[in-house]
Amino acid sequence: MDNLTLHKVRKDYGKVRAVEGVDLTFNHGELTALLGPSGCGKTTLLRLIAGLEDPTAGKIMLGPRDLTRQAAHQRKFGMVFQNFALFPHLNVRENVCYALTIAGVPKAQAHETAARLLDLVQLTPFGDRAIGALSGGQRQRVAIARALAQEPEVFLLDEPMSALDANLREAMQVELRMLQQRLGITTVVVTHDQREAMTMADNIVVMSDGRVEQTGAPQDIYHKPGNPFVANFIGRANFFEGVMRGGRITAGSLSLEAGTRKYLDGSPVTVVIRPEKACLDEVMPEGNRVPAEVIFVRDVGPTRDIHLDTPLGPMVVEYAIGEGARAFTRGQKTEVHLPAGGLYIYPSDKARAVA
Amino acid sequence: MSAVDPPTLASSETSGRSRRSIMRPDLFQAVLWALILTLCVVPFVLVIVISFGQKIEGAAWAFGFTGANYQRFFVGASWPESTTFLYLNRLWYSVYYAVIAAVLAVLTAFPFTWFMTRMSRAAQSRWLVFLLATLSLSEVFIVMGWDILLSNRSGLPMVLRETGVTDWLKVTGWFDVLREWGMANPRNVKFKTSEFATILTMSYLVWPYAVILLYPALSRLDPSMTEAARTMGAGPWTVMRTVVLPSVRLPLIGTLFLLFVFLLGVYVSVTVFAEPAKQTLAVSVYEAVRGSTLNAPFGAAQAVILLITGGICLWLGQILVNRKGVTA
Repeated sequence: MDNLTLHKVRKDYGKVRAVEGVDLTFNHGELTALLGPSGCGKTTLLRLIAGLEDPTAGKIMLGPRDLTRQAAHQRKFGMVFQNFALFPHLNVRENVCYALTIAGVPKAQAHETAARLLDLVQLTPFGDRAIGALSGGQRQRVAIARALAQEPEVFLLDEPMSALDANLREAMQVELRMLQQRLGITTVVVTHDQREAMTMADNIVVMSDGRVEQTGAPQDIYHKPGNPFVANFIGRANFFEGVMRGGRITAGSLSLEAGTRKYLDGSPVTVVIRPEKACLDEVMPEGNRVPAEVIFVRDVGPTRDIHLDTPLGPMVVEYAIGEGARAFTRGQKTEVHLPAGGLYIYPSDKARAVA
Repeated sequence: MSAVDPPTLASSETSGRSRRSIMRPDLFQAVLWALILTLCVVPFVLVIVISFGQKIEGAAWAFGFTGANYQRFFVGASWPESTTFLYLNRLWYSVYYAVIAAVLAVLTAFPFTWFMTRMSRAAQSRWLVFLLATLSLSEVFIVMGWDILLSNRSGLPMVLRETGVTDWLKVTGWFDVLREWGMANPRNVKFKTSEFATILTMSYLVWPYAVILLYPALSRLDPSMTEAARTMGAGPWTVMRTVVLPSVRLPLIGTLFLLFVFLLGVYVSVTVFAEPAKQTLAVSVYEAVRGSTLNAPFGAAQAVILLITGGICLWLGQILVNRKGVTA
């Protein structure tokens, strides 16, 4: 089975560069999430894959086949649009049958396929319904069934959950993932919701300003962010600036064990620590302790966010609530432990700007 | 008692205010209805009443209740001694010209409007302003322009003759075909008078209306619907046939109906470009009311029949559309 490959794909709109030299491989049968903030070029990249836009440069390959100049109607990649783009003049069954009808598939066969797909998305009793009589979740399922009717080699979804409310979104994420796993179809989902990407995808492509910042499995991206942008965009993170000296990070009057010796002495660095990696336990290891003052406490279900004012700047620590958990009050003086293993260290942006 | 009185006074005051506020809309509605009746219904009723009146030779006309005007329309004034279908023929040309010109206008305006809605916002605005500006031209002005363009001596026929196209048509045999169609005299191609020139001018007359009526529907059409169709294997024509046209079916038919009704009453284009034997009821009505024959009751009868015919055509069209809608 063929992988979908992008070779140095670029897209310019006049002087604006929407996608810049993207090299990616989408493995057969895997679900990949294109994740990034609004305007990062993820939807443009999806449209380039679908054939709805022509790349300014680069190649789009499906196995050995070059699709770069092939029109969307020749690629026939099934696509689910953000607003579902269902045809209001057709009922549910006719929408699902659309690709088959225009391909000249006999009506009985097309209806049989539609029945199978409607069963797959649990909409069997809704075949004769008008599109206007469906809820948001039902519309999304019809859009999925319609896109799958032509048995596409690649299945594309452009922010498919954005039109749904929070509860339905959670349920549909699970349903969509189960459906994709059952069909084993190469799937690319565009989203700006990192939680959605983390829960659904085999691989995540984090994008920013038209570039790919990092690709990898969700846990790798979360636990080994490639740069401060990814660390900030995926999950929550605390940032501070420092300078490397003898394997330690010097930040103001503090000196912290870095856990790495790959930076030269005097290198300015940006240090990131996730809220759950920082420690506020009563008994904490020696070293890498930073004095702090509690400025705000927020209960978030099973955990508590403790907002601290430290010499390194403001910091949030995720503190598990349980038996023997400490109580924190506003104005309380304490210490926070930043374990060397939990610190992500990157060359400072300021240093790069100077360079 | 004193504790009860103020609320009573207050409530009477409130009811007084509400009465006044209710009466005001009532009065407004009454004035509105009176205006509608005076300006819209009364003239129609008058036309219907006059259509049953009688012409008084050497004078005007008198109220009455005779079906002679309608009889004259359908079978001629001398029926049953002799029968003529002159006015039925004119009714036929009214409907024929209006249908063909409306269809032609919509057929040409639709692709233009479609491509216009794909342009940038600035380009769309420029086109809309231009089209709205052309609406300020009167029928007389437009017909004058086309009259010059299609005139035998200085217009398109002259260009065809001077460039040798006429000779080429004669050599290839197409000239004889044009003569059969009434679009050539023994010497050259001619557009005046012809059905072609009549329909073309009528179509041109309503073309900006067609664009402006189609524009809202086409500009509101969600581009992701056509893109979705493309990703499912639909080429440009299939997208047009299976997505765009069905999505704008109602505005399209509405435009067609509106242009048809408008064209039923076109006068100047027909008088200039149609042969005398192929003139329409609108011309005949004018002649009866204001022109040479001065027979207001007969003009009114023709106007009533034109109105009823228009209504029947719209009704038949509606039935046809609904039937197609069900089977689609």
